Amino acid sequence: MNVRLPFVQVFILIVFSSLFSFLLNGLRSNGIPLLAKELAVADKVEIKVSEPQLLAITIEQALELYNKGTVFIDAREPEYFEDGHIKGAWNIPFFFELMFKLDSLQGKDSPVVLYCSGDECGSSEDLAYELQGEGFTNLYVFKGGWTKWSENGHPIGP
Amino acid sequence: MINLSQRSLLALFSRIVLGVVLIYASIDKIIHPDAFAKLIGNYNVLPFGLENVVAIILPTLELIVGCCLILGIMLDGSAIITAGMMIVFIFALSQAMIRGIDVSCGCFNVSEAEEGSQIGFRRIIEDIIFLGLSIMLLNRGERKWELYPKT
Repeated sequence: MNVRLPFVQVFILIVFSSLFSFLLNGLRSNGIPLLAKELAVADKVEIKVSEPQLLAITIEQALELYNKGTVFIDAREPEYFEDGHIKGAWNIPFFFELMFKLDSLQGKDSPVVLYCSGDECGSSEDLAYELQGEGFTNLYVFKGGWTKWSENGHPIGP
Repeated sequence: MINLSQRSLLALFSRIVLGVVLIYASIDKIIHPDAFAKLIGNYNVLPFGLENVVAIILPTLELIVGCCLILGIMLDGSAIITAGMMIVFIFALSQAMIRGIDVSCGCFNVSEAEEGSQIGFRRIIEDIIFLGLSIMLLNRGERKWELYPKT
């Protein structure tokens, strides 16, 4: 191989970086899996859980929880929330305020449903992981989000 | 027309600017691969959970290429990779802006979504300038102050 050729250099640099980074990732304590895992989908939704969980739910399961009076949290930005949201949902942009409000009203083991705009958004999942990190144990991410909910004509609030 | 020594100086300047930017951008991502993977996921451009592979490789590549640029090691290859990365970043940022998805940039800092790290025209313009610098570096003419390979 002639190292003077630019594309040989590109090849060397990319191969070296990849090998080095995989090695580093394997050795370090906070390495990440090679492929990101999707959230597991819940078989059934429960109000009381025996062990901590963070699961994805379908629209039917979301409606079931909604009818049981579960707290829904809108993880979108306030301007989207103001345009329309699931009736009764909370939209609290400040994480600590949200955390304390949830904790003081219903404790850390009661179910919480999080949603954002739809299948493509990640803010509900991110928020769920943050809440999990603070010790909340019964978290559901409604993947269909606002799009699915409003399309199906379920209760919406101004 | 600028003369040869001015061109060499300009090339050295581009090398240092790009190198420092790349190294600076890589550090926080190398420290927090999980946070960076999530940020890439938010861009919604990669299928099958590939964001993790990118989150592992990209920061290291940035670091190594950054060092190579400053030291003058395999400069042509480094400049091509830099240009390639800038094109990918410009594409990713623009598509996120056009689709209106609300993501934080993850350009330099992944730990906290500080004010001004949101995607904006500023980031795209910066990347276009960096792309220009790396293309200029590819056409530097005289090879000066380079460690490897020697001409």
